[in-house]
Amino acid sequence: MIDTFLKSLETGSGFWNPLVLGLAIIIALLLIYIIRGFGKKDYKKGTEQTKAFLSGNPEYSKDEMHIKGKNLYWGFTQALKSVYNVLEKMHNGNTSDYVLWFVIIIGALFIIIGVI
Amino acid sequence: MVNMAGFSLEFLLLVVGTIGLALFGIFFGLIYKGIDRKLSAHMQGRIGPPIRQPFRDVVKLFTKENIVPDNAIAWVFNWAPIIGLVGTISILLYLPIGSINPIANTSGDLIIVLYLLMIPSLAMVIGGFASGSIYATVGAQREMATMIAYEFPFAIIIVTIAWILKTINIEATNVFSLSFIAANPLWGNLGILGFIGFIILLLVLVIVTPAELSKIPFDSPEAETEIAGGLLAEYSGRNLGIFYLTDAVKTVVMASIIVALFFPYNISGFFGLNNIPAIAVDFVFYLIKVLFVILFSVTLIRVAIARLKIDQIVGIYWLWITLLGLVGLICIMWDYQMMLRYEFYKPIFSILGLQ
Amino acid sequence: MNWFELITLHSPPLIVAVPLLTAFLTPLVSKINEIVRNLFVLIMLCITGLLVLILGYDVLTNGIRTYVFGGGAPLPSGMNIPVRIMFEIDSMTIFMVIITIILAIICILYSWSFMKDQDGLDKYYTIILLLVTSIFGMELTGDLFNFFVFLEISCITSCALIAFYVHKKESLDAAFKYIVISSIGALFILFAIGLLYAQYNALNMATIANAIQFTFFDKIVLVLLVTGLAMKSGLAPMHMWLPDAYSSSPASVTFILVGATLAGLYGGLRVIFTIYGNQLLNTGFTFYPGLLIGIIITTLGVLSIFIGVFMALKRSDFKKMIAYTAVAEIGYMFLAIGSYLIGLALSVPDNPQMLVAGTYALKGGLFHILNDALDIGLLFLVAGAVYYATKQTSLNSLGGLARNMKYTTIFFLIGLLAVSGMPPMNGFASKLLIYQSTYQISPILSIIAIICSIMLLAVFVKVFQSIFLGPEIPSLKNVKEVPKSMLAAMALVACIIIFIGLFPNIIIDNLVTPAAEALQNTTSYISTIVGGA
Repeated sequence: MIDTFLKSLETGSGFWNPLVLGLAIIIALLLIYIIRGFGKKDYKKGTEQTKAFLSGNPEYSKDEMHIKGKNLYWGFTQALKSVYNVLEKMHNGNTSDYVLWFVIIIGALFIIIGVI
Repeated sequence: MVNMAGFSLEFLLLVVGTIGLALFGIFFGLIYKGIDRKLSAHMQGRIGPPIRQPFRDVVKLFTKENIVPDNAIAWVFNWAPIIGLVGTISILLYLPIGSINPIANTSGDLIIVLYLLMIPSLAMVIGGFASGSIYATVGAQREMATMIAYEFPFAIIIVTIAWILKTINIEATNVFSLSFIAANPLWGNLGILGFIGFIILLLVLVIVTPAELSKIPFDSPEAETEIAGGLLAEYSGRNLGIFYLTDAVKTVVMASIIVALFFPYNISGFFGLNNIPAIAVDFVFYLIKVLFVILFSVTLIRVAIARLKIDQIVGIYWLWITLLGLVGLICIMWDYQMMLRYEFYKPIFSILGLQ
Repeated sequence: MNWFELITLHSPPLIVAVPLLTAFLTPLVSKINEIVRNLFVLIMLCITGLLVLILGYDVLTNGIRTYVFGGGAPLPSGMNIPVRIMFEIDSMTIFMVIITIILAIICILYSWSFMKDQDGLDKYYTIILLLVTSIFGMELTGDLFNFFVFLEISCITSCALIAFYVHKKESLDAAFKYIVISSIGALFILFAIGLLYAQYNALNMATIANAIQFTFFDKIVLVLLVTGLAMKSGLAPMHMWLPDAYSSSPASVTFILVGATLAGLYGGLRVIFTIYGNQLLNTGFTFYPGLLIGIIITTLGVLSIFIGVFMALKRSDFKKMIAYTAVAEIGYMFLAIGSYLIGLALSVPDNPQMLVAGTYALKGGLFHILNDALDIGLLFLVAGAVYYATKQTSLNSLGGLARNMKYTTIFFLIGLLAVSGMPPMNGFASKLLIYQSTYQISPILSIIAIICSIMLLAVFVKVFQSIFLGPEIPSLKNVKEVPKSMLAAMALVACIIIFIGLFPNIIIDNLVTPAAEALQNTTSYISTIVGGA
């Protein structure tokens, strides 16, 4: 019984044993936690030093200090703009277009499977 | 019935090995960091800090105040550096060091290494997001975009190597494991086309490395001059010290991966050594190999090139480097087909008369 | 015959009948008291779960089971084809039924507090139970027309559930799209069933599979069935209804809708592997039919992964992002299934290695069905918790919730790691099986699977940042942690995820491998009904 629990997962080209990794993580975690314990723990709470760093500018209101979801990954979407333009055009929310895609796929498969 | 004695021996080996590897990674990581700084200083005509400077940096950081900003989510902010370092150390378990086989040899392979390599970056990203600072958030989302960008070519390299190994050794059931790859170096078994493809893949991996370590020219997440240290802007004291250690260990890990994939050769055979001396010689040779890899993929590139914008990074990796990787893949696939079809087309080693 | 054997014998119809009867009794019971009604539904589903376990144990130890309605004898005497409605249960069925019952029980547990403030709950529970009944029916049945009937029930009940928030225009819009599209799909499936009946004079799957010739009509039927069921399971580019439907229904409903979607996938598997199972390597054509279907499915699977991940990365609504991720995850399953079909075709005549790789891929794909249901489900539950606490799910107006909702944050982190396949979560085990087998079919498949899985990580890190991290937003200062029943439901899913993640072998050896073997072994499915064959 315990053997099945400890067995590695075989994939035909590799293996994977979560328990070994889990054990290693626990050991490393303990070690790092001890190392971290040597460091200085305290800081001056409630002083200037806990304010967010903004190159000396005063802090904005809390709402504006949070970068909203729509602004994330600008670099990625900018670099792959052409891909996104096509995809956005596909998802136009129009039911008849959705049905059209279904018909297109049926037609394409008829040609591939039916004719060949 | 379980073999309890063997089991507890393995358990002990794992415990001792993990601690040993952690200390090894931290120590040599810091030394390599010192060498890297010294060399790049010389290249720029400066004297540079002494090699033991990184150790002093860490000690200094540990004596500084460990500030948790008001806007931060404290528990995420404090745990992110620890998780990052732990993840990095656990990769060392799967990598061969010199002629020593990986400790977790039969329990994980390259795909796990690929995933575990994301953990330090992920920890930095989450730590940056959790600090609640605008600079840190901008830096963190850049790091995430960079990460998706460079994982693509990296995945191509890994899968290509596994594919060609599987095609050559059809019976093998562990082609993804690093010990198998290290035991079957590919250079000699490929034809000319495949040799070229393999060199291209090596080049791709060398270009991926600085991004993986967020070094110039792919350091836009940290960009001191524009976003003030980016995702680490709010970190200080021991938390920053742990990130510093993570960076050091990660350098060793990346260099070891390149060594294991492309230069797994050992020299103990030439001297006819075995047992302990062989391991020692191979270990020293491994350290030298790692040094050279760091020199070429980190120091030289860092000194020579300026920082890129984030959308340029994504564009470069998803278009040019990926294309380059695919060219390498196609070369290797054609090479195999050529070897199947034509008699005259032979592996390089048999042309050179080495086999 | 003692009572246990009696229950084992009659468990297949009972699994469908218990939720069905509970559905009709719920409005009556809810006249008494809300708590009694919730308990009643929960207990009845637990009884169904017990029946599933009994049936599962029986099938996994004794092989395929059949149940013929309206007669004690396995088949009416003197007839060589079965005319009665019958259920046929093999290991694959058991695998799917177990997933469904887990989803159903957790859904009811979660609804307890999540739906508390809504009215019309007696009908809500009735429809949920009818949906569960229809999913069970689709999975257990051995009869094509029966399958169609249950499919229609699931379409209509899903539509009603998607439109649960009738005061929101998005819900009504999504429900309308859903009913239009799935009705069209279901009618095409009915047309295909009619064509089969016209040719072979039978509706029983095994009988048809035994007689099928792969004529021109059969090809048409194959195209219609596969396309219709692929649309039902949200395969790109026919996935567009799915993000709308998933994101505008209540979270508990979405959780069970995932099960309905997977039942469509199961139907597709039955069609390809059972009805057309013996024709996959038909030598009468230029290409093996299996190779063609495999290439098509793999291409569409890769397309799904790509579209799902790319669209999810740019959305800024939590539930929409999860919904697109669900499209991507469906893509992984189709990728694995298609790889098996290609591997099967390539292994003939002398390349057995490909079949081995394909079998691993198939196991990975089936294992991923379970993992996907749990991972995506957990994320939907978290999204529901966020909605419950703040009444919104938009990434542009939330922030800093990790301070007030610590447990929800932890469950979200578990879901994040699981869905993006980070070790040591369950998603990693199944994705590893897919990566390390599909690369033998073509390295590109594996590369795309890996990179898209990493992009999924980016998708949910974005959610983590926008919703849970960041400074404390004044308007969200008074947000409270969600009630205990919701936390319990999320904790239950998270525990299953971690357990499967740490001990993947237990699930693979006991559930996934028998299911994969059952799919591969078409002959035994047929011979159980037709005899000999």
